[in-house]
Amino acid sequence: MRTRRDRLSTVLVTVAVAMFLTLAPMPAWLSMLWPYWVALVLIYWCLETQGLVSLGLAFSLGLVLDLLTGSLLGLHALGLVIIVYLVTRFRARLRFFPPWQQALAMLALLLNDRVVMLWVLSLRGEPMPPVEYWLSALIGTAVWPWLFLLLDRYRGVMRQRVTS
Amino acid sequence: MVGTGTGEVSRFFDTGGQTARLMLYVLLSVVLMAMDHQGQYVPRARSLAAQALEPIYHVVEWPVRAVRNLYGQFESRRSLRHENARLRRELLAQQGELQRLQTLQEENRRLRALFVGAESQPYDYRFAELLQVDLDPFSHRVLIDRGERDGVRAGQAVIDGGGVLGQVEDVRLHFSSVRLISDPNHALPVQINRTGLRTVAFGQGETARLSLASVPREADVRVGDLIVTSGLGERFPGGYPVAVVSAIDRGEGQTFAQVEAAPLAALDRGREVLIIHAAEPPATEGPATDGAPDAAPTNAQADEEPAETTDAPAPAAAEAGRQEGEE
Repeated sequence: MRTRRDRLSTVLVTVAVAMFLTLAPMPAWLSMLWPYWVALVLIYWCLETQGLVSLGLAFSLGLVLDLLTGSLLGLHALGLVIIVYLVTRFRARLRFFPPWQQALAMLALLLNDRVVMLWVLSLRGEPMPPVEYWLSALIGTAVWPWLFLLLDRYRGVMRQRVTS
Repeated sequence: MVGTGTGEVSRFFDTGGQTARLMLYVLLSVVLMAMDHQGQYVPRARSLAAQALEPIYHVVEWPVRAVRNLYGQFESRRSLRHENARLRRELLAQQGELQRLQTLQEENRRLRALFVGAESQPYDYRFAELLQVDLDPFSHRVLIDRGERDGVRAGQAVIDGGGVLGQVEDVRLHFSSVRLISDPNHALPVQINRTGLRTVAFGQGETARLSLASVPREADVRVGDLIVTSGLGERFPGGYPVAVVSAIDRGEGQTFAQVEAAPLAALDRGREVLIIHAAEPPATEGPATDGAPDAAPTNAQADEEPAETTDAPAPAAAEAGRQEGEE
């Protein structure tokens, strides 16, 4: 049986990769479209493990992301906390959704996050962002099934490595 | 085993406590954001944390550099020769320009000597490259690969081949962050090159647009006018190109025309930049304030024209100008 620490480190490795992807350089048009990797990865772990991804963890990971990307401190923390809360709240239902329904739920979550972010940005006096801003949520949804399979694979491998 | 079949038990997993904690964290992050926006405590904490983040940036950047180096290795000699020849031609052309400039500068110096104390300072440039790290597109910041070790100081102006890019905000050991002129909190004292009309260029949160504040409706401004730094506020040296006027709206019944300008610097796609050093330490206080990145109070003394501000303590004049411009 794996200890909580083992499992947590598995989660953190994937989150680190997600942050790496977030920071990876890319042309300006793509950076708006780039999916919210950290959120997607956290959603996966929320769905698949029980009580491992707490609100506190989401908050602190959000703060790290804020520091890394230089955004307003607390912006990503707020977004991730809300996402993790919603997922844990509806976890039992979400897990047994058929894939397409689950993808729709992801779309709703990501769009909700965009709305929250837009609210904060507009308080700061930023202009209305371009359409790409919203497309990012769509792309995140499209990526979701593949990411899900990939993370499942990874989790399987890690589990075997510990038990064998 | 992990997370198989245990979901049902947790259906009513501590929902009340969870909601209370959600509220707590939401409140906490809102407070943090407000403090960050106001520039209280948080920027300092951020700059401390940035020290720890430095290696992460290098790790992220490493593969990109490696790929680029590899690509450079395989680039054919022929294309290199071509590029070399082209660069040599360009250099020659620029040297020609420079020779002319030198005589102009000499003449300028003589003329200035006629006036009292209007000596312009010689400037020194330092080359830097942008770190290949993608920050939040809404942060209006870029990272450059020069830091305290290389003599970079907060407040120094950063330009690229086209024009002014921004100013150094936060200096770490090996890298520093540059606040772009497109930041909604950034104000840059400029003048219109053709007429010498002074104004302030405010960032609009977009990389393709700046707005010029308090330009009178009747002022002589045309689309296509070049906008250069005016050197007021003592942070940016004067005379560097900033933007080109792209749109003018002289609405009826307004005191000020709404003028927009397109920045000349490649704000969203540049790679190489120059940091401007004043050669001998001038009497400006801005760059001297070390460590504390947005030591903005130093701009307050330029009461007529707002200096470039990076954060909250925008001088009252700047705020007033902006409001008037929007009316």
